Amino acid sequence: MKGAGPAIQLIGAGRSFGERVALRPLNLSVERGEVFGLLGPNGSGKTTTLRMLATLIRPSRGTVSVLSHDVVEEAMAVRRQIGVMPEKPSLYDRQSVDHNLRFYADAHQVADTESAIRTALEFVEMSDRRQERVGQLSKGMRQRVALARAIIHRPPVLLLDEPSSGLDPSAAAAMERMIRELVRDGATVLMNTHRLAEAERLCDRVAILREGELLEMGTPRQIRARLLGNVVEVELAGIADLAARRAVESLPGVTDVSWEHGGLSCRLEDADRDTPDLVARLVHANAKVHSVKQAGDLEKAYLELMSRGEQPEPELEVAA
Amino acid sequence: MSVVQITPPVRALVRKELREYRQHRMIVLTATFLPIAFLFLPVMNLVLYDADRAIGGVDFAVGQAMFCFFLTPVIIPATMAAYSVIGERDQGTLEPLLTLPLDDREFLAGKVLAIVGPAVGATWLIFLLYYVMVLAVVDDPVRGAALDPAWVFAIVLMAPLMAVFSTLTGMAFSARSKDVRVAEHLSGLVLLPSMFPILLVVTNAIPATVLTWIVLAVVVGLVDAALWRVALRAFNRERAISTV
Repeated sequence: MKGAGPAIQLIGAGRSFGERVALRPLNLSVERGEVFGLLGPNGSGKTTTLRMLATLIRPSRGTVSVLSHDVVEEAMAVRRQIGVMPEKPSLYDRQSVDHNLRFYADAHQVADTESAIRTALEFVEMSDRRQERVGQLSKGMRQRVALARAIIHRPPVLLLDEPSSGLDPSAAAAMERMIRELVRDGATVLMNTHRLAEAERLCDRVAILREGELLEMGTPRQIRARLLGNVVEVELAGIADLAARRAVESLPGVTDVSWEHGGLSCRLEDADRDTPDLVARLVHANAKVHSVKQAGDLEKAYLELMSRGEQPEPELEVAA
Repeated sequence: MSVVQITPPVRALVRKELREYRQHRMIVLTATFLPIAFLFLPVMNLVLYDADRAIGGVDFAVGQAMFCFFLTPVIIPATMAAYSVIGERDQGTLEPLLTLPLDDREFLAGKVLAIVGPAVGATWLIFLLYYVMVLAVVDDPVRGAALDPAWVFAIVLMAPLMAVFSTLTGMAFSARSKDVRVAEHLSGLVLLPSMFPILLVVTNAIPATVLTWIVLAVVVGLVDAALWRVALRAFNRERAISTV
């Protein structure tokens, strides 16, 4: 592993296919141990970005590096450091789970192949399916094998393209748990996903792309705040009395306070700064605070962002 | 030909390819059928040889028989090589494969070795069986002509070179085509006329001596070296994963 720079870095990296611009110059830096999500509609440049990082396509402009290795100049070094899980499992259906994994372990020159296969299969909870043909497994199980293949050589950087695409809720939850465990063990993850709730739970930061252009980047909380405003919802035990109402409404930076039965919602100037003050004032006024949460979710923020770019429908002229 | 080291990743790729063939029953079946046919046809041809009715004499009959052994290392690899790159893309396994620590030369070398090895092995094996069967069931003067050491020399020398030629041709088309059928058709179109020099030797238009085979081997070897460069240049990762 070279140096101590970011795990993934794109500096002005863009990609065109002939006349079509798939990705406009993008600056992006993913820190080691971070989970970074690329969000956006189909054709937004997510897969292009992932393919550049996986050394499958070259950037037309700018530079792309993984653990300080340039994906063009040091492609082989990059390939040794990454584990890739494409959207489809992309396994050899006629071969057994064991043979699929063995090939990748051997190609990566893993020191102890047997142990690596065993560990990877234990991790994805597929030890009992080792000798089964991949073609006989369900979609969820194949996704697990694909994840086991991606981590067989214990890469420090994982590139996951829609890891839970097409999975049922429990299989998707299992996949999410596995990704979380990998990150806990020190891996850096860059993932493309359409599952915004999953991205919100899993990703430290996300970037939202549309038509090859970066629209937003930050933590899910920052993006929600920017797009939906710093609206927080406070759940109280019982009805707030006058003292509690005064305590909230007189707090600097608090606006649009709306009292409801069992709680309130208000807009904060800076959610990170003002939320603790808000809670402290309520507690001081003897209000019983059950929960405080930011209003809206990443999905709502995403849809808000997407709707901003939509052209209004042309008005039809009605003949008199 | 630029030197390719047979690194552990290349060996892993070869093993994976061979496993794929073994586990695909139809590939094994169709690839076995041809050598078996090419074993029995020449033997039958020599057993049934009739000096009074045969055109061209004993040498021509033996040459005809031998042509089958030169066709084997060309025909078997052609379709397999045509499938090698585009087939991986069609079954969706190419992308993760290309993220392995294999450079372009190693990737192609692994694919070539996995095709050439079995094709040459099958050719030598059926030739060995042919040799034994001729010894057992064919009489002189046909037997003497058929067991001429020049033919043994030719098969040992030419089978690998012809297999490499066929494999690289198929692979170059596989790397550039968007449809496996197109790659197969184009390979067939190139390979059949390229058998013409061999045809001249086996039909005795050019004497089938050791020297002739050495000259032919040098020529095919040079063509193989050029084809390696062509296949390497034809192979482009971006193009290979693209479906349009």
